[in-house]
Amino acid sequence: MIVQMRRMTLVAHKADEADILQAIQATQSVEVLESGEESSEQAALEQAEEKVRKLTDALKTLRPYGEKQGLLTAMPEANIADVAKQLPPALTFSDRLEGIARELASTRSEIEKNRTIIESLRPWDRFPADMQTFQDVRGVKYFTGLIAASDVEKLEDIDACAEYQLFNEGVVRTCVVACPEDEAKSVANFLKSIEWTDYAFPKTGGKPADAIQRLTDRNRELSGKKSDLEVSLANEASGSAKMVESALDAAVIERDRAKAAAEIARTSATFQLEGWVPQDKVETVEKAVKSVTDAYYFSTREPDKGEVPPSVVENSKFATPFEQVTNLYSRPDPNGIDATPYMAPFYVLLFGLMLSDTGYGLVLSILCALYIKLKKPTGMSGGFAHVLFWGGLSTMFWGVMVGTVFGMDFDTLFGTTNVFPLLVDPMDNPINMLILCFGLGVIHILFGVGLKMKLAFSRKDWQTAIFDNFSWILIICGLIVYAVPSSVEGIPAVVGTVGLGMAGLGALMILLFKGRANKNPFMRTISGLGELYQVTGFLSDILSYARLFALGIATGVIASVFNELCKMLMGSPVLVLKILGILVACGLLVALHAFNIAINTLGAFVHCARLQYVEFYGKFYEAGGRAFRPLGYKTKHVRILDGKSSISD
Amino acid sequence: MELQWGTIFAAAGAAMAAVLAGIGSALGVGMAGQAGAGVVSEDPDRFGSCLLLQLLPGTQGIYGLLIAFVIATKAGLLSGGVDISATAGLSLFLASVPIAFGGLLSAISQGKVAVSGINMIAKKPEEQGKAMLMTVMVETYAVLALLISFLLVNGVQVG
Repeated sequence: MIVQMRRMTLVAHKADEADILQAIQATQSVEVLESGEESSEQAALEQAEEKVRKLTDALKTLRPYGEKQGLLTAMPEANIADVAKQLPPALTFSDRLEGIARELASTRSEIEKNRTIIESLRPWDRFPADMQTFQDVRGVKYFTGLIAASDVEKLEDIDACAEYQLFNEGVVRTCVVACPEDEAKSVANFLKSIEWTDYAFPKTGGKPADAIQRLTDRNRELSGKKSDLEVSLANEASGSAKMVESALDAAVIERDRAKAAAEIARTSATFQLEGWVPQDKVETVEKAVKSVTDAYYFSTREPDKGEVPPSVVENSKFATPFEQVTNLYSRPDPNGIDATPYMAPFYVLLFGLMLSDTGYGLVLSILCALYIKLKKPTGMSGGFAHVLFWGGLSTMFWGVMVGTVFGMDFDTLFGTTNVFPLLVDPMDNPINMLILCFGLGVIHILFGVGLKMKLAFSRKDWQTAIFDNFSWILIICGLIVYAVPSSVEGIPAVVGTVGLGMAGLGALMILLFKGRANKNPFMRTISGLGELYQVTGFLSDILSYARLFALGIATGVIASVFNELCKMLMGSPVLVLKILGILVACGLLVALHAFNIAINTLGAFVHCARLQYVEFYGKFYEAGGRAFRPLGYKTKHVRILDGKSSISD
Repeated sequence: MELQWGTIFAAAGAAMAAVLAGIGSALGVGMAGQAGAGVVSEDPDRFGSCLLLQLLPGTQGIYGLLIAFVIATKAGLLSGGVDISATAGLSLFLASVPIAFGGLLSAISQGKVAVSGINMIAKKPEEQGKAMLMTVMVETYAVLALLISFLLVNGVQVG
């Protein structure tokens, strides 16, 4: 259910500000509001941001050298004091690391640059003159460039006014053309007309061959330096990753505190902190402030009409992980209703029907249980792990009801005949299965309408509850009851009349009272008629539940396809091939079924969530809440021991 | 040459279901993969979320395979050929049309939404749930196509 939020105001001495902020951060219960004033704490905030940036960069540099963390190991735990202690050594370490990384980068780029020059000079190996000075001859213009071997004969055409010399063999030949200055223009035009590319020597002195030698030597010594630097980087890196991770978390905690500090209004002697606190945490926060100083003013009040408090919910142990599913869509409006405890059992039920394979459910539950036990996840991934665990249990149940275990019939597994499936086999009896799905859908939707009624009653608005919502329940139930005698034998026809009566009553209620805001009776009936059109909306909602059937058989049939495939592999009459086939098939079975579990779990999760959001929530939920972001410990690599886990996230 | 038209039509139906839905999924997943590669090149930490979004258009190919398999089993294509009439074969062929074309086009559209979703989480990684949800909305139509194909195939009288 939704927790009441209170707006708090705290005024205390500036001298106590830092301690009070630390104490408040430890409670993880206060969302600090911006005061809108310019603050002197900007500089401190910038410094804190700089530390976070440095450590993040250091961590990135270290990543290729770090040890791999096991998939199922939990986050290390530490006290806030220990974590903060890691900050100074980590900062000096990251400075050192940054220096080495920078030097390494510049060495690498110099090696690369030299290599490019060497490659470009190689065709000019035989050029006999100094690259910079050979052009300093008066009256002569030199053109240096590359010419396609096929066009060399064309150079004969300028023999009259220019000289040329080639310096290598190959498809592209290096060439120098020399001509008197007054012929330069015509020679230039001529060169443009053939396959000639101009080439400019790099700005080093000496002959090309000498330059090549010089640069190769230089590259050799640079490579030596590079490997030395890489070794020293690896040495620094080994074992340091953990320290930098803890320090990064500490820097983030400090930065959050600095950010909160920057948003507080100040006078010369006092500071004022405005924020949101959940009702049940007010005492804790006041105690935290009191532990620092007795000189404070602390008050809380209800939110004003125009204010939008953040949205905080509190739920039972079973329903809490399902808050993550609701949050994927939208947090509840603080004035509305928290849908999670009502959604959770339906989610588990429908998820199981969509995945409906006992073997898969078993594997899913076991994997999730292991993950939760070993990695102790929190926040979004923790929530999803719990949701999938319960979903797995439900899947095992529906697998027995509806049909399959790892794609095989229960009957073939247990050797019984026609005992399983306990409820209905979708392959033999698709219509009955569809009716089951639609029936579940009707229950779900009507429950949603009922919740809307409950919400309306709690707001003392009984007209909306009866005329707008109960009437729909009457219509839908009435129509279903009306359809019963015609499709099921042995029910007297009077039941049908009762159903028709119910539906008629509901329709009449909507027709007459939906438009009750309008005084004009004619307009009232017209808007009532328009409202009756909503029956198509209900129809499409109910039809949407057909996906339960579709996804359910999809899992089972795909699993049986994989089984058939492997059976074919194992069926060879030749002994050697048969043994080989069995080996391959076993590996293949595991891989294929794992793939099937993954794909269908994803599909079931997402489609089940979609059913909740559109068909269920659409009836009563008021979306639009904003997340509660308290000042707390937002760590990624270490779990802080003296803080409880954060309320939001 | 005496042709078994029933078997031929049934085989054509199975082939069409698998091929067209598979093409759709391949195109959809491929588009999403290209977008994902772009995002991961800037920020390798996004890989998991991008992969998840990339996987979503893949279901239509699986649905097509499912219907192809059901048709093939019904028409005895996998075990040596049941004698089915031309009417039954043609009915099976037409029954595969919803998932074939529905799967093809919905997978391509779903791929486009997945691409947009991946671009969205490049800027706002915390909104990954919303991206996934938007992509899944398109899958509704693939599911409906699968359903009607399955019902139609189931209803064909063979032999």
